[in-house]
Amino acid sequence: MKSRTILAAASVLALLAGNAAAQEQTLKIGALVTQSGAGASWGNGMLRAAELAAEDANKDGGLEVAGTKYKVEVIAYDDAYKANEAVTAANRLVFEDKVKYIIGTVGSAPILAIQPITEEAGVITLTLGFTAKALSADKPYTFRPNPTTAEVAQPQIDWLVASQKIKTVGALFPNDETGEAIAKDIGAAYKKAGAELTATEFFERDRVDFIPLLTRIVAQGVDAIELDGNSPVTAGQIVQQARDIGFEGVIIRTGGPATQEIVNVAGKQATEGMFVHSAFNPAVETAAAYQKRYSDTYGEAMNGFSPFFYDGTKMLFQAMKDAGTVEDTAAVKTALENISGYEGVLGTLNWTGKDAYGIAHQLDSPFYIARVEDGNEVIVASCTTAGCK
Amino acid sequence: MSFLIAQSLINGVILGTLYLMMAIGFTLVFGIMRIVNFAHGEFYMIGAFMALIGVTWLGLPYAATLALTVVFAVLLGALVERVVFRPFRSDELSGMIASLGLAMILQNGALIFFGPDPQAFPAMVSGVLRFGDLIIPKSRALTLGIGVVVLIGFYVLLMHTRFGRGLRALVQDQQVAALYGVRLEIMYPLGLGLGIALAAVAGALMAPLFGVSPFIGAAPLLKAFIVVILGGLGSIPGAALAALLLGLIESFTSSFVSASAADIVTFALVVAVLLIRPSGILGRGEA
Repeated sequence: MKSRTILAAASVLALLAGNAAAQEQTLKIGALVTQSGAGASWGNGMLRAAELAAEDANKDGGLEVAGTKYKVEVIAYDDAYKANEAVTAANRLVFEDKVKYIIGTVGSAPILAIQPITEEAGVITLTLGFTAKALSADKPYTFRPNPTTAEVAQPQIDWLVASQKIKTVGALFPNDETGEAIAKDIGAAYKKAGAELTATEFFERDRVDFIPLLTRIVAQGVDAIELDGNSPVTAGQIVQQARDIGFEGVIIRTGGPATQEIVNVAGKQATEGMFVHSAFNPAVETAAAYQKRYSDTYGEAMNGFSPFFYDGTKMLFQAMKDAGTVEDTAAVKTALENISGYEGVLGTLNWTGKDAYGIAHQLDSPFYIARVEDGNEVIVASCTTAGCK
Repeated sequence: MSFLIAQSLINGVILGTLYLMMAIGFTLVFGIMRIVNFAHGEFYMIGAFMALIGVTWLGLPYAATLALTVVFAVLLGALVERVVFRPFRSDELSGMIASLGLAMILQNGALIFFGPDPQAFPAMVSGVLRFGDLIIPKSRALTLGIGVVVLIGFYVLLMHTRFGRGLRALVQDQQVAALYGVRLEIMYPLGLGLGIALAAVAGALMAPLFGVSPFIGAAPLLKAFIVVILGGLGSIPGAALAALLLGLIESFTSSFVSASAADIVTFALVVAVLLIRPSGILGRGEA
């Protein structure tokens, strides 16, 4: 009799345990980022942001949505900054791994290439791609959790042109979707600020020797060289080689946080006095804490885009909780759109972009202009989309 | 305008020298082994990492690092010949495929060991040399200087030593060379080692200019290919001429037209040469 009771108790326990196990499920998040080649530092920054956000969610036994705890698992694929590789990876993520959320892509051409797959399947993507075409009313599942040149260029350029008395500017851009888009934006922004983009060069993304192109630009006697639109490594090579051929003017990087990588490649001497866009103010405590956590975890300096994707992934988790589902991405998308005044590590975050893109899927966040001194950013102006001071 | 012409000329000569070092090793390996070595670019990458390890990790002087790179590359080449290429000595296709596999192993090995991020390489010299309006970056002048010294050293070795005569005999006809007492078991590994060492030195020389990452081998391999096709596979004077030509074309088209135009002109020239002189400008054609 006694053994029977024990047996019954055991089976009830087993049932309960089985039930508990069934309650804990896995939530797969795809990370379709660039892990090799020139854009790898951005891609790794994004992937690690997703991993750290997942680590936070898993810390308390998983992400709790509508009473179920989900263990968050990040599945990463490398697109090598190429549209065709991104399509292959997107197909694997959507149809084989069955993910409903993708962090990525890094590049503009890759996001435009995978959108027919992700939008059709209702997969939410958080992309870094700077092209204006990435966001539109007929692409409701794509969000951009980082400001782009279109958001940050004008106020920064206005401030720099006025304070550094710049009249003519030269710039080099990669000859692809990202480069073309940024060249157009930047040209218009300098014109509006009262300067002129007088010398532009386009080049293949894997180019490493810029001396012939820079020779032509410097021969035209420009006051400043703009680095926006180039990967951190390429930007570093341009800085080093521009100084190598004796360019003494101002070097500016309007968009895309990449100072650490540029200094790594070009060295402290060549980068001294360079003006850079920064989304990161070390005086903001949460931002500094994230930076420390990143470098402690991965043993490398944090890429400037990483905090945006950490916040972006956490906003996505928040949206799942708000919507009470991880399966119905239409509901999660609406919940994500409705998040406002989110306190992220970088400050207060909102969605904007209804006027510029026709859909409010563009992140709005504070940003800064910094001057590089001895390899470090020193903030010289604080900006909003209204202007810098 | 004259400034731009003179500056382009200087840039072109510097580029040409860099390409030549890659192409000579490549064509030498083909001449001796009859293998199109797709891993050649990866030895360039390994040379760059050797320089990085020597200069930044071990704190050695640059000159000592370059010497160590050469020694290491020759040994590595000998090892690769013994382990990978020896079974395919008379089998060009399989040897080529083996070299592709080797390239992937080396690149991914570097990726695992060093990670994907480009590594900073400290500038060896800074500043510029000025001749009137003309500007030569000291870093490039240094690379050019060492490159020319290495190439002259290689030329003397090949043309005026017993070892060099043996290698040249091997390139012409391996059976006859063997009959005349050229020791194949020594010449093959050393010949491959020498070719690889040229690529590795090129990598070590260019590391301060272009940075170091596991992916830097592809572009120089492509340039070596173009140079060798233009100059004629197996022909060293042809490679010298073609490398200089390629450097000047790239430099002038980039400076006067655009970077994309430089690639178009380069490949148009390759197609034209293949159509008009399939064996290359100074190639002898297949016997």
